[in-house]
Amino acid sequence: MKLTVLRCIVGESELPQDVMEAISVINYADSNHILGQMAHCCNQPSMIGVQDVFNNAKLRAKHDHTMLLFEMDRVSRALQGSGVKAVILKGGAYVARGFKASMGRRVSDLDILVASQDLARTENLLKAANWVPDEQTDNAYDQQYYRDHMHELPPLRHKTRGTVIDVHHSLLPRTARYRVNVDKMLETAVPISDHELWTFQPLDIFAHSAVHAFFDGQLDVPARTLVELKLLYDDLSEDEKAFLGKRAKEIGADKAVAMALWVIGNVFGDAKASAQARWLMHPSRNIMLKRALISKTVNGRFSIFAKGFLYLRGHYLRMPIHLLFPHLLRKAIRWRPASSAPPQLPTP
Amino acid sequence: MTVKLAQHNRRDIASALKKGMFTLTLGPFKHLVSGTSAPLLDYLYDTYRDYDVALKPTDVSEIILNLKAPNILRRFIRPQVSPDPGFEVPTIPLPLKMAPLAFEMGMNLSVALKCCRFVTVHAGVVANEQGAIIMSAASGSGKSTLSAALADQGYRLFSDEFALIDLEDAMLHPYPRPISLKQDSIAVVRDIVGADRISAPLSGTPKGDIAYCRVSEHDLLQAHKKAAAKLILFPRYEAGVSPMARKLNPAEAVMKLIPASTNYSLLGEPAFRAVLKLVRQAKAYELSYGTTEQSLQLIADIQASGAGR
Repeated sequence: MKLTVLRCIVGESELPQDVMEAISVINYADSNHILGQMAHCCNQPSMIGVQDVFNNAKLRAKHDHTMLLFEMDRVSRALQGSGVKAVILKGGAYVARGFKASMGRRVSDLDILVASQDLARTENLLKAANWVPDEQTDNAYDQQYYRDHMHELPPLRHKTRGTVIDVHHSLLPRTARYRVNVDKMLETAVPISDHELWTFQPLDIFAHSAVHAFFDGQLDVPARTLVELKLLYDDLSEDEKAFLGKRAKEIGADKAVAMALWVIGNVFGDAKASAQARWLMHPSRNIMLKRALISKTVNGRFSIFAKGFLYLRGHYLRMPIHLLFPHLLRKAIRWRPASSAPPQLPTP
Repeated sequence: MTVKLAQHNRRDIASALKKGMFTLTLGPFKHLVSGTSAPLLDYLYDTYRDYDVALKPTDVSEIILNLKAPNILRRFIRPQVSPDPGFEVPTIPLPLKMAPLAFEMGMNLSVALKCCRFVTVHAGVVANEQGAIIMSAASGSGKSTLSAALADQGYRLFSDEFALIDLEDAMLHPYPRPISLKQDSIAVVRDIVGADRISAPLSGTPKGDIAYCRVSEHDLLQAHKKAAAKLILFPRYEAGVSPMARKLNPAEAVMKLIPASTNYSLLGEPAFRAVLKLVRQAKAYELSYGTTEQSLQLIADIQASGAGR
């Protein structure tokens, strides 16, 4: 797959005229979980069948959003009057703010962030409102592991609705090599009308997306990440864009934001973003990361090395070796095939 | 160009499947299928011989299925196949010889989870001039046997797996894929339709013994004609039970159809309206029976009582 496919997905170039090529673009978008975004960004494709495929994807995302808004309502109710300032993160925030990045985006779990001193109280309030520890991580080791090392509580699952909420107190694990100043981000958080909930200000939403992309994990869905950064950037006003670099430095997210801007400049051809990226970070920096990122995204010939590099890098950034190694070993020994039970679906 | 599968050269079909250009047109769907295994090709050549097939897609299709080895090892060592409908879904890898099962399961997954143009209800559907009969039931309730038996009585087979309910007018769209037969029903249906129409049985699958009954050419020719539902049945097979039909009121019928739908909650209100419209135009019954003859008799009785008008 060529990198230009991403431009097509965000609607900056036309869907190929050739049917097989169009199909491969659509398949690529689908397997990278950005078919919904593509459905909203592509204008009026003339090819027969495309509209049906797009409508399916839009409907699915719309359903997700309905569920998510309902969940937000429930969380808001659970925390009502407690004085806890709960900030909705990631997909939830895009939906709550009506960002372009939310259009067609699938969302499943709700992520919220609270100040660390509010963490215990938030957990108790949610538990009182019927959220319980998720079965998969409801064991002594995982519970302790999350609480000691992670940036979030072990996931909570609602008893009757089955929906999952992740309660964060930071944006990166406690053990991570980089720190982001969450307190500063919380200070400028913006309330969401109708709910007693907040989101970060748009600049910080972009910065968090960048941090999440480049300093947390191994870029599991690189195409989605890149498209998301591009769409979030498009939604910033000119004034906000001008202030982005300064803000990124303030909250300690400049490296991540520089990478994000490099992507928007290089992959999507935005000259302004390129210039900003250069201001934050010399173009020769992070060459390996940039190469690996592109390679994994296009799934090219050397993508296996790219994936290996990103895997190692992700874990290196996540925690020190003396913590990481015993943890991975334990996970490997305790590993079970994901699904031993047949799926509960209509089958012949 | 779309012609019957059997009229294509076998090598061309194999090559189209390999390149992911094999397009099967059936009812409201176009399916783009890729796969390389010989068992799949044999199966398609036999059971899908009368279906419209093109070797190059002319437009984009909603239903995409790739039958591939779950990992590179399984391509060579004790080869396995697993259906990939283009989105993440838990599937069980199967030995290569069970490729037909992987194909049918994959197709069902695709339709069930992808398609939002219809309310999809897990049900067998047959129809005649008066209208369609929907038989909604869990696996193992004799729905497929019943569909095959009714098809033998002159009904045309609409679908063995899904009732596709139009969101606007609640009309049913035909989708006659082969009838999937399990365990004892293989012999029962073989007696009804003749051995020629039954595919080579697969034994030892996760669902036990499995075979597929080919859809008649006549039914396939009519696979574009919609029909209105006149009867909604919830059959339940239980060995030795005395046959009984219980009439359901519309509310009961709706409440039984909803959990049988694969996309009801996704579609929301439009699906509710369509199901309501469907139930209002048809009569609904719950059937209990111990033999296929009993179920056919029950259906004939219901029709004779004028309920099926």
